[in-house]
Amino acid sequence: MANNAEDVENNMDQQETSTSPESAPSQPPESGLRSRGVAGAGNGGTGGGGGGDDGGGGGSGPEQNGQPPATRPARVVEAEEEEDEELTLKYGAKHVIMLFVPVTLCMVVVVATIKSVSFYTQNDGQRLIYTPFPEDTETVGQRAVNSILNATIMITVIIVMTLVLVLLYKYRCYKVIQGWLFLSSLLLLFFFSYIYLKEVFKTYNLAMDFLTIALIIWNFGVVGMMCIHWKGPLRLQQAYLIMISALMALVFIKYLPEWTAWLILAVISVYDLLAVLCPKGPLRILVETAQERNEPIFPALIYSSTMVWLVNMADTDGPKRNSTEAASPPQEAQPAVAPPEPSSPSQDDGGFNSTWINHQEHQLGPLQSTEDTRREVQEMPSARPTPEDDEEERGVKLGLGDFIFYSMLVGKASANGDWNTTLACFVAILIGLCVTLLLLAIFKKALPALPISIFFGLVFYFATDNLVRPFMDKLALHQFYI
Amino acid sequence: MNLERLPNEEKLNLCRKYYLGGFALLPFLWLVNVVWFFKEVYFKPSFTEQMQMKTYVQRSALGVLLWAVILTAWITVFQQYRAEWGEVGDYLSFTIPLGIP
Repeated sequence: MANNAEDVENNMDQQETSTSPESAPSQPPESGLRSRGVAGAGNGGTGGGGGGDDGGGGGSGPEQNGQPPATRPARVVEAEEEEDEELTLKYGAKHVIMLFVPVTLCMVVVVATIKSVSFYTQNDGQRLIYTPFPEDTETVGQRAVNSILNATIMITVIIVMTLVLVLLYKYRCYKVIQGWLFLSSLLLLFFFSYIYLKEVFKTYNLAMDFLTIALIIWNFGVVGMMCIHWKGPLRLQQAYLIMISALMALVFIKYLPEWTAWLILAVISVYDLLAVLCPKGPLRILVETAQERNEPIFPALIYSSTMVWLVNMADTDGPKRNSTEAASPPQEAQPAVAPPEPSSPSQDDGGFNSTWINHQEHQLGPLQSTEDTRREVQEMPSARPTPEDDEEERGVKLGLGDFIFYSMLVGKASANGDWNTTLACFVAILIGLCVTLLLLAIFKKALPALPISIFFGLVFYFATDNLVRPFMDKLALHQFYI
Repeated sequence: MNLERLPNEEKLNLCRKYYLGGFALLPFLWLVNVVWFFKEVYFKPSFTEQMQMKTYVQRSALGVLLWAVILTAWITVFQQYRAEWGEVGDYLSFTIPLGIP
């Protein structure tokens, strides 16, 4: 999906060279710094490259001032290149870990809820309007057809929403996008969390009065809106993003019928791949448009692991600020992708997130494609020119849609299977995330984060469920320990 | 949002906004205010706006304590006497536990 981790340095790289970071030393130090910094922000890998470049640039400077022997600069450059490679790798690992933690947390929340609160696994007969065909049919064939139709409808909705978002973005209807996003997160933070709390209290058989509940939901929602769309502590914002991703995943798990859910996961991964990588893909168009306009694409719904603060951004932020609203959470959301500007107009991207969120909110009806949110993530190119000042380490960004679908997969695995299956899916998704980040560090452009992880997750789920589980059950039955 | 890169006036501004926002029945906002600006106010070398920020943080902490007391009292009263209040108790209840209290 679009949610893949974005390499901030896309912009930079495209502007400077298309070569790998190792070639950076040949470039002037500033540009090297820029490209490195951008890369770093985007991905772990890129971050490393950035650091290396800086070192390379800095190293070669003083050499030139003195009268170093001719061979020394070459050796220095080589050493720096090696350093670059090492730094790239080290940086990459750190960023991968920075993404592991939130993804794991989200999955833990979803699995814990699924296992304890039975509401989310009950079949109330209610369905989303996007999946009108029931799955409790008489024949298997009918069920298969229904689930295929459901998945088709869903993916069409997503595609349409994505296109609408791209069009809105292209024609600069930023207010619409922001409002959309705002409404989505409003619904999510207030309504869904209210339902969640209600079910948790019911499960644990606790009494609760309306006054306290109203106060709790009011506080949770308002502080959440502030943290996500305005300014708030980074950790709190990350926590809120994780929570709303978990809520969304739970809604999906509850309201999507069995086969439809698995089909949708598979189809969305394919769509993500196409939308991000094909030249005419909507997400790609979005990224490119954002890059042309030199605007950060990301709205409030991208999870960023750190915040990058570029000192010079304040100057360049001015014009952007005028064009965008202050709704998006500037720094928190986007650290990785673009140079963290305080006023980062994530608002542009806001549309994506809201699309994605709206999509989830079946109650409301508006469709949001997760593509959008994914795209959002992808589009993190740093539209802003990197300031000359050094930026602190950038984080990695991952779209919230990715969080949602990862958690949805693991949640469904835990609802159906036993812990073996759940753990297998969990490990598979993390491995997929690693591979995606690695590719991100190599290719340095927006990549879909869904396909690899979901593919691994699905393979592991079905293999474990159908092969490993009966095997383990038989072994346990016969008390045969291996 | 990384506080370190913000100029002091903006930090003060943020602190003030969080403080004022908390009056809209938002003790959580006050709590966030206290936790977020605690280090700024108490463990950093003083800067011009620190005194003002300190008052905001202190008042927010006071507000949080007050709300905590009120909420604890109300929740205790409610949980204890909910069954005895009969209809009023049910009317106030958001979830009613099953079984005999």
